[in-house]
Amino acid sequence: MRYGSLVRVFLILALMVGGFSCSKTTVPPPQPGFGPGAEGLSEGAGTAGTRGSGLDEAKWRELGLTSEAEKKEFLAKAQTFENQDIYFDFDAYTLSEPAKRILDEKVAFLKRYPKVKVTIEGHCDERGTTEYNLALGERRANSALQYITNSGAGRTNLTTISYGKERPVASGQDEAAWAKNRRDHFVLNY
Amino acid sequence: MLQTKQLIMWWGCIFITAVLFLGWRGTTWAERVYIDITQPSFERIPIAIPDFKRQTAEQSQLARDMGETLANDLDYSGVFRPLDPKGFLEDPQAVGLTAADIKFPDWRRLGADFLVRGAYQVQGSTLRMEGRLFDVVGSRMVFGKVYEGETRNWRLMIHRFADEILFALTGERGVFDTKIAYVQAQGKGKEIYVVDFDGNNPIQVTRDNNLDLSPAWNSNGTQLAYVSFKDGGAKIYSLNLMDGVQRLICGYPGLNIAPAWRPGSNELAVTLSKDGNPNIYLISSSGDIIQKLVQGFSINVSPGWSPDGRRLAYVSDDTGNPQIYILDISSGQKRRISYSGNYNTAPAWSPKGDWIAYSSLVGGRHNIVISRPDGSDVRQLTHGEGSNEDPTWSPDGRMLAFSSTRGGSSAIWVLQTNGTGVRRLTRNGGGQELPDWSPRVSGR
Repeated sequence: MRYGSLVRVFLILALMVGGFSCSKTTVPPPQPGFGPGAEGLSEGAGTAGTRGSGLDEAKWRELGLTSEAEKKEFLAKAQTFENQDIYFDFDAYTLSEPAKRILDEKVAFLKRYPKVKVTIEGHCDERGTTEYNLALGERRANSALQYITNSGAGRTNLTTISYGKERPVASGQDEAAWAKNRRDHFVLNY
Repeated sequence: MLQTKQLIMWWGCIFITAVLFLGWRGTTWAERVYIDITQPSFERIPIAIPDFKRQTAEQSQLARDMGETLANDLDYSGVFRPLDPKGFLEDPQAVGLTAADIKFPDWRRLGADFLVRGAYQVQGSTLRMEGRLFDVVGSRMVFGKVYEGETRNWRLMIHRFADEILFALTGERGVFDTKIAYVQAQGKGKEIYVVDFDGNNPIQVTRDNNLDLSPAWNSNGTQLAYVSFKDGGAKIYSLNLMDGVQRLICGYPGLNIAPAWRPGSNELAVTLSKDGNPNIYLISSSGDIIQKLVQGFSINVSPGWSPDGRRLAYVSDDTGNPQIYILDISSGQKRRISYSGNYNTAPAWSPKGDWIAYSSLVGGRHNIVISRPDGSDVRQLTHGEGSNEDPTWSPDGRMLAFSSTRGGSSAIWVLQTNGTGVRRLTRNGGGQELPDWSPRVSGR
């Protein structure tokens, strides 16, 4: 009779309890596109000088800029380039007319300075899922990439990255904040 | 270049011995299911859980902690309604544990259908815990069980005992030994954490100082796949929870996101945009592409497997906005299953295969809904209490964890699939999201 034995012994292997140890970690230096973009440059441009811009002589030569005036002009234009985002409608990645006008300025900059390297970041507002927004952000970045290359700027120095809804610039939960977050941001990597 | 040293986490092998003894006259508990919780008329079972009885002087606080933890477990299951101990008439330390010691009429008057009596002894670092379940109406013991192990693992013993109680009365196992992985925002970054099913023991498992997203358990609960931006763009990594080793699974150009392990295999469904469009692929655990599953000109993301691994729920914006579709892997046939509203995302297939949960934009808010896999019988489980997203099923299919902003910042919440029993799971600051419920992994 199987009920005859009143005692059963189970040996239970508890797999689901873990401990952990950790070693002290070190925060890596900021990477392009992680955190506020291109800190070195903004600093330099803010003082309207070329020192402290994060650009050394070799880099200036690479960009083909030698005179102080040229450098100043570049830094001013670079600051505008980075500070002007383009914006999108909810769940959309088509370019509006104002967005195209801003992209035209960026095309002009890229034609004037063809050696610069640019990362186009696609961003979304907080609504919707992380994964869908990563895909949507990529489409927004690609929309700008396509427009710029169709306008005759070289593609080789352009890369895209999507941060989805992970890097908002405005923290509110209303349309005013969401509209600011549905954007492409442009980062110069030289 | 500095390399972030990984934390090492191991699955501690904890040994707890357990001895079961059956109830009065050897009536088997396993063959008789007391309660059919699938009945629509089901009401939570009132159960009394007094403090455990101290049999040694050490660790006196455990008397209350054990009783409270057991009550919390049973309440969490959605099957029981633990009674408030304030109304209990006798001193649990003064009364014995046998049926002869128990005044069943008193417990009946308090409204209890079942009663748990527990006792424990601490000797050095060893804990011996005994728990007994009594049928108050029948004035008899249902079963008893003795557990022995290290004192620091007392919580696990209680979870085991709770599981036995649930099994004895419903014929189904609970989720008391499972965990939930989620994303924790801290500073500018996000890291992956793992927490017990009841919100205890949150443990940080990644230290990438970057953006880590979308944790996904493999079938045996030993690995998490997740997305990290630590090497530039979004790439998919795995974290082995046995040895703490992290490994790149795939880093194709463009997006590498939305990992979902195929049940019972080492394959994953993922979204890759390497060919321009975000499509869903079947890949090996080393990132080799096995098969393109969903392709087109639309956004295709968030794959979620059926429990048999033959079908895949996913999100596509084929119609201009995100909707839920189901792909039959062998035939390649696709079928849209969400028709209400214009923003349906994050499908999760229930462990028994009978439901699909997803997040639906209703009245400007994301809410959790469930429907049958053919799209019928849509039921809305949340109703605009903040934004409710990314549902994940408990392995017994009775509960869903999800992220919600109903308490302010985003946190992980849990509810029963009948919409009741809502409880908050995570309370640390910074915001938590993207929960994924582990499988059951303990050997039984």
